Amino acid sequence: MTLNTDMQVNRIDDYLWEIPPSEKAGMLVPARIYASSAILGAMDRGVFDQVTNVACLPGIHRYALCMPDGHWGYGFPIGGVAAFDPEDGIISPGGVGYDINCGMRLIRTDLTLSEVQPKLELLMTELFRRVPAGVGSRGFVNMTRREFREVMRQGAGWCIARGYGWPDDLERIEERGCLEGADPTHVTDYAIERGINQLGTLGSGNHYLEVQVVSEKHLFDRETAAAMGLTGRDQIVVMVHCGSRGFGHQVASDYLKVFEKAMRRYGISVKDQQLACAPFRSPEGQDYFGAMNCAANTAFANRQVITHQIREAFAAVFDSTPHALGMQLIYDVAHNIAKVERYGDGEWLVHRKGATRAFGPGSPELPDCYRAIGQPVICGGSMETGSYLLVGTNRAMHDTFGSTMHGSGRTMSRAQAKRTVRGEQLLRDMKQHGILVKAVSMSGLAEEAGLAYKNISEVVHTVEQAGITKKVAELKPIGNIKG
Amino acid sequence: MSGTFRFLDEIAVADMAFEAEGDSLPALFDAATQALLESLADPATVAQTWQQTVNMEEPDIETLLFEWLNRLVYLKDAQAVVFHHATVAVHARPDHSAWRLHAELVGAPVDQTTQDLRSDVKGVTKHLYEVTQTGTSWKARVVLDV
Repeated sequence: MTLNTDMQVNRIDDYLWEIPPSEKAGMLVPARIYASSAILGAMDRGVFDQVTNVACLPGIHRYALCMPDGHWGYGFPIGGVAAFDPEDGIISPGGVGYDINCGMRLIRTDLTLSEVQPKLELLMTELFRRVPAGVGSRGFVNMTRREFREVMRQGAGWCIARGYGWPDDLERIEERGCLEGADPTHVTDYAIERGINQLGTLGSGNHYLEVQVVSEKHLFDRETAAAMGLTGRDQIVVMVHCGSRGFGHQVASDYLKVFEKAMRRYGISVKDQQLACAPFRSPEGQDYFGAMNCAANTAFANRQVITHQIREAFAAVFDSTPHALGMQLIYDVAHNIAKVERYGDGEWLVHRKGATRAFGPGSPELPDCYRAIGQPVICGGSMETGSYLLVGTNRAMHDTFGSTMHGSGRTMSRAQAKRTVRGEQLLRDMKQHGILVKAVSMSGLAEEAGLAYKNISEVVHTVEQAGITKKVAELKPIGNIKG
Repeated sequence: MSGTFRFLDEIAVADMAFEAEGDSLPALFDAATQALLESLADPATVAQTWQQTVNMEEPDIETLLFEWLNRLVYLKDAQAVVFHHATVAVHARPDHSAWRLHAELVGAPVDQTTQDLRSDVKGVTKHLYEVTQTGTSWKARVVLDV
């Protein structure tokens, strides 16, 4: 097998590979990559270079990991997971990602495909109207700066207290939609000015809102699916992929600058400027953690407001109420985050960048409704192929700091995708295949064509065979909104 | 004085990258600015109803270009605007201790019905970022996070 690296990559089993510390000066632990042979062979050089760079960071524990949807990123690879000793390890914005708490949310309904199909055009138009997307879009929630700081502190709970959601939504959000330790005093005015008008907006790039169908043939575990409210009878669900928008990006950019200077002070050197970091317990590290938690809570709030708008759109189109339509939240999970979590013998600062928390059955952090089955894991595929609902396993708790994949991962550049397919043609082709798309930007739509992504089924197969998540259902798109 | 730019394909698979060059420093800034403006929206479809003056000072050219491009991204979000054009002047402080930029930005509030909107660029990154000078010619490589 030819790989895009000169480093030695040892096979642990069919779905796990390891690069030993001897392969790069400064590696403190091995780097491990979850992948089938085919996925490993197609991985770009950046994955190998970057996951081994991560293995050099101070305080790293056990391994630097990369999931099978991994590809080149800024600092950490996308799909990167690493745990650090909170006492003498570092925190790095490059290990969280610029879009802090970019994540996935899935909402069920009692509606079926046959009920939605006749009104799909109307539904997508209504969703497109109520959930702003694309360049410079603004949300409908007008806030003062003081209120925005409360959003940073309270996350999704702030929205629910104002009627943008149901009280029982909170138990179905990672960390109940609010990370402790959010400190708005460590957020710059630039970040506030970028974010204050963006609550309830999707953004662009690979962010989307998708109406999907779950059919009988795409249910892999009926009992677990039933615990999440999925029947498989051509049931309609809604998926949301977005994060903290410009606000989170500004927080990350602001602290990369702070950390570049802090590294000199603390005598830390890194292999890549985008891995700029600071000791977690240092003033700079704690300031970033406080600001990052603000951005994470704002992302939870963003997805909560979008959920409210989705419920309102469905209620308007189907002349009903969201409760009568059974529009309960299935789960909301982050895939760009750093959190202190407990594993066996201690607490670790776990960075997940393009990787999802996947806690197994029995985890005390899970709500009662999911404690027996494990945490729902929502993985978005390309808009043409479909997405997956998985659950975490106890093996993930042992092997990957309770982490798994987050999506399918790109294989083609945006420029190449635009040369290969035109947005207008893609729109027509997808409609012929039963997927109605509403997009702000035709060039942006072309960039997200299915051909630009890995086959998500192969990625999901890998994490299932590796034992770090289990398949529950495949979700097929019938409508998509893109920025 | 002239500058050009081209988008780079394989530098950032999930994002966007461009290379800008010019036969002078102002030409480089013009070219890089144009590349970012065109990443956000087709300038020909943007009206000229909004304007803003920007003054910046940074210790070196590399930092000045980086912060200027990030300022454009900030203004796009904070003011919800896209840009028709920018007039940019760059010069050294008399004592050569820093570089200054003066820019006049012209554009319009975002309007999905009339503008050809493109990527909602979230920021300029330091990944593979570089500004180089050969004789009087300047070149910059920039990766944008989208």
